Amino acid sequence: MSDKAELVKSDTEIVEKSRPIPTVGSLVDIYENEDEILLHVDMPGVEKDNIKVNIDNGTLSLSAVRQLETRGVSTWEEFGDVEYKRSFSVPQTIDVSKVDAELKDGVLRLHLPKSEAAKPRQIEIKTG
Amino acid sequence: MWSRLSDIDRMFNAMNLLQSRMDKIYGDYGTSRGFPASWIAAESMPKTNLYDLGDRFEVVAELPGFLKENLDIKIQGNYLELSGNHQPDAPENYSVHRVERGTTSFSRSFTLPSDVDSEKAEASLKNGLLKLNLPKAEAAKPKQITVK
Repeated sequence: MSDKAELVKSDTEIVEKSRPIPTVGSLVDIYENEDEILLHVDMPGVEKDNIKVNIDNGTLSLSAVRQLETRGVSTWEEFGDVEYKRSFSVPQTIDVSKVDAELKDGVLRLHLPKSEAAKPRQIEIKTG
Repeated sequence: MWSRLSDIDRMFNAMNLLQSRMDKIYGDYGTSRGFPASWIAAESMPKTNLYDLGDRFEVVAELPGFLKENLDIKIQGNYLELSGNHQPDAPENYSVHRVERGTTSFSRSFTLPSDVDSEKAEASLKNGLLKLNLPKAEAAKPKQITVK
């Protein structure tokens, strides 16, 4: 239903629009240990301020916009302005308030700590 | 058939909408060739741009995760070679769910449109983008000619 509404809606817009920048999926490595889930995401050329990380209702969405300063005449151009976009389902056991992200050398490292309740526990067996 | 550019735009909008719906259905669908741009992994060789700024060239390359110590740049005349090598940055004592990045070494060579002055060439690395500033050799620079 909603699909149809959107299709019809864009059909009635006559105004010429500027072309939106292309969206690509960024490359991601996902690791996990007892304490956290760790994501490494390639985002070459993206400034820190242009990255949005959103966790809502079990979905982690990443969106990062790259704007290149280009000068001169391009002889060849294999990449340009782009929006990196990716979304993942994350378990509800992630402690959203402690999520930590760092950007270094074009790689975003996203630490998703597990909440205390979700960590594995060693149960001590008592002898009586 | 297409009377205005906006018609074409509208068609692509509809296609993009469809693609984003498919993205939602498949979530993190496996990355392999033959899928639309947002589904495929980047090529293993780094992508580059070359700009001509009159008296110099600017080469930009996507190199996320590379440190400047891991890069090797060679210039001879109009030949440029970029290569790099780094250790995978996988953390220790983690189990692995997905590995897509994994580019640890590459080598790519180019023939530039004209000779460059390798003595004055400069390179900088920021946010995973390598930028080379290559001044053209004297003979290749544009010359102003005065009309007598």
